[in-house]
Amino acid sequence: MIIKKIIVYIILFIAAASMVFPMFWMLLLSFKSFPEKYSGLYEIIKAPFTSSNYIETLNSDSFGLYFINSIIVALAVTIGNLIFCFFTGYALARRDFRGKSLLIATILGVMIIPSHVIMIPLYRLMVAFDWINSYFALIVPWLVTPFGIFLIRQFILTLPKEIEEAARIDGAGQWKILFKIVAPLSKPALTVLAIYIFLTNWNSFLFPFLFTNESDIRTLAVGLTFYLGKQSIDWGHLMAGASISAIPILILFVIFQKKIIQGLTSGALKE
Amino acid sequence: MTVKQQQNKQTIILILPWILTFLVFYLYPLIHALVLSFSKYSTLTNEIKFIGVSNYKYAFTDKIFWKALSNTAFFTFGTVPLTTAISLALAAVLNSKFIQYKNFFRAVYFLPSATSLVVISLIFINLFSKTGYLNFLALIVGLPVSQHGWLLEPNTSMISIMAMDVWMAVGYYMVLFLSGMQSIPNDLYDSARLSGASPLQQLFRITLPLLKPTLLLVLLINTIKSFQVFIEIFVMTKGGPLNSTNTLVYMIYENAFEKADMMGYASALAFILFVILMIFSILQIKFLRTED
Repeated sequence: MIIKKIIVYIILFIAAASMVFPMFWMLLLSFKSFPEKYSGLYEIIKAPFTSSNYIETLNSDSFGLYFINSIIVALAVTIGNLIFCFFTGYALARRDFRGKSLLIATILGVMIIPSHVIMIPLYRLMVAFDWINSYFALIVPWLVTPFGIFLIRQFILTLPKEIEEAARIDGAGQWKILFKIVAPLSKPALTVLAIYIFLTNWNSFLFPFLFTNESDIRTLAVGLTFYLGKQSIDWGHLMAGASISAIPILILFVIFQKKIIQGLTSGALKE
Repeated sequence: MTVKQQQNKQTIILILPWILTFLVFYLYPLIHALVLSFSKYSTLTNEIKFIGVSNYKYAFTDKIFWKALSNTAFFTFGTVPLTTAISLALAAVLNSKFIQYKNFFRAVYFLPSATSLVVISLIFINLFSKTGYLNFLALIVGLPVSQHGWLLEPNTSMISIMAMDVWMAVGYYMVLFLSGMQSIPNDLYDSARLSGASPLQQLFRITLPLLKPTLLLVLLINTIKSFQVFIEIFVMTKGGPLNSTNTLVYMIYENAFEKADMMGYASALAFILFVILMIFSILQIKFLRTED
């Protein structure tokens, strides 16, 4: 039995090491200065450690801007989702109105439309709006998401109605009830939503890539792909850039590990 | 105004953001995509000309389309069973009682799923390269070394990307399996143990049958996701070498955004993809339901 346990732990540790290794490799390369052309792995391992890759990357071209753009876009979309998913989710949980089932159908329907089917017309729409290369294209279409609406609706359904009714009898207005009573009670669901939206938008590539063609407006995920040269790749700087884009998420992951796992998988489980 | 009237007024404001988003950014694009798929769109003059089903007809005579479709199918049916098996095995091990530090392992395995796919693809370009870690490892163990790099040879490029995808996805589906397993009541295992069932018997007689809804979900999500593989292709190989990693979505992207006048054709391809995905969903749901 003890031998069996040891074998199982060894397997688990090997799997864990293989999960961490590429991230470790990225960090290792990002701190190495090595010649532009290298012929083997030993040269990398022997190369001296340096922090200049980070300093040069952050000072180069638009990389600092990529970072700021990523923060602006991810934060704006997160705030939008916190407000608008909360609004719609609350209406679906607490109100009866004409066309409610149609509204639910639109939300479910959108969930099954692959984004690649609408990427072409969406791009043409952005061209028509003259939103290419502007924050609008990167933010406005994603301010309210079907997944977020359902997450909030399911949560509000579990809250007792009596609290809201008592507040109403005490003379509280509709908006006051919404912001002062329901919102604080919904904090667990709103936290999961915020982390989920921030993470997916920070990592988002397809639409930020399609909707921008100038360097200054790119986000980190998009900007990084333009560092891939045709002939030789400057790995030190590229991996420094990749680390700059991954480290904030790694820190978030260490702190909010449970909420992140919950958020990223509840999208699948709620269907 | 009565409370009811106030509430109705508020309801309209509450649902308006979603209604606008739905109409402008989902419904209109979907209809527009359908119209485009029956049209010839010229990039320079920005004109749309209705041409019937020509785009769809063209797809079936297009050799690259068949290549991309078979690549996509190969990618999907290669990765989905492997990912499912590994993630199920990991979940079964982590779910056993004697394992400690469960949350630690769960978090570590999940880490790749929280990381940007672009970043992961960039790292793996390095790992797969001629002077990369994988060749180094192959050399030590005595396995064949890739001459030009794993991604640059047509017969290893797709398999390399598939390996990366399995590596990346197992943690995610493991978490789904784990939460499915935790909803199975413990006394089932207790009584099985009392009647002398081995852990393996317990796995096949209790865990797997009761895990069927989760299994269906995992297969469905992963198949739909895998059939739309794009970012790793775009970053790592751009569909090459010799179309060996060209997939449906990469082909849609290339036709729409890197070629002139092909947006109509790209839209037709997108709808073919949509139909395939729908068929998968229906088949999988039916298949796993009728088995009971």
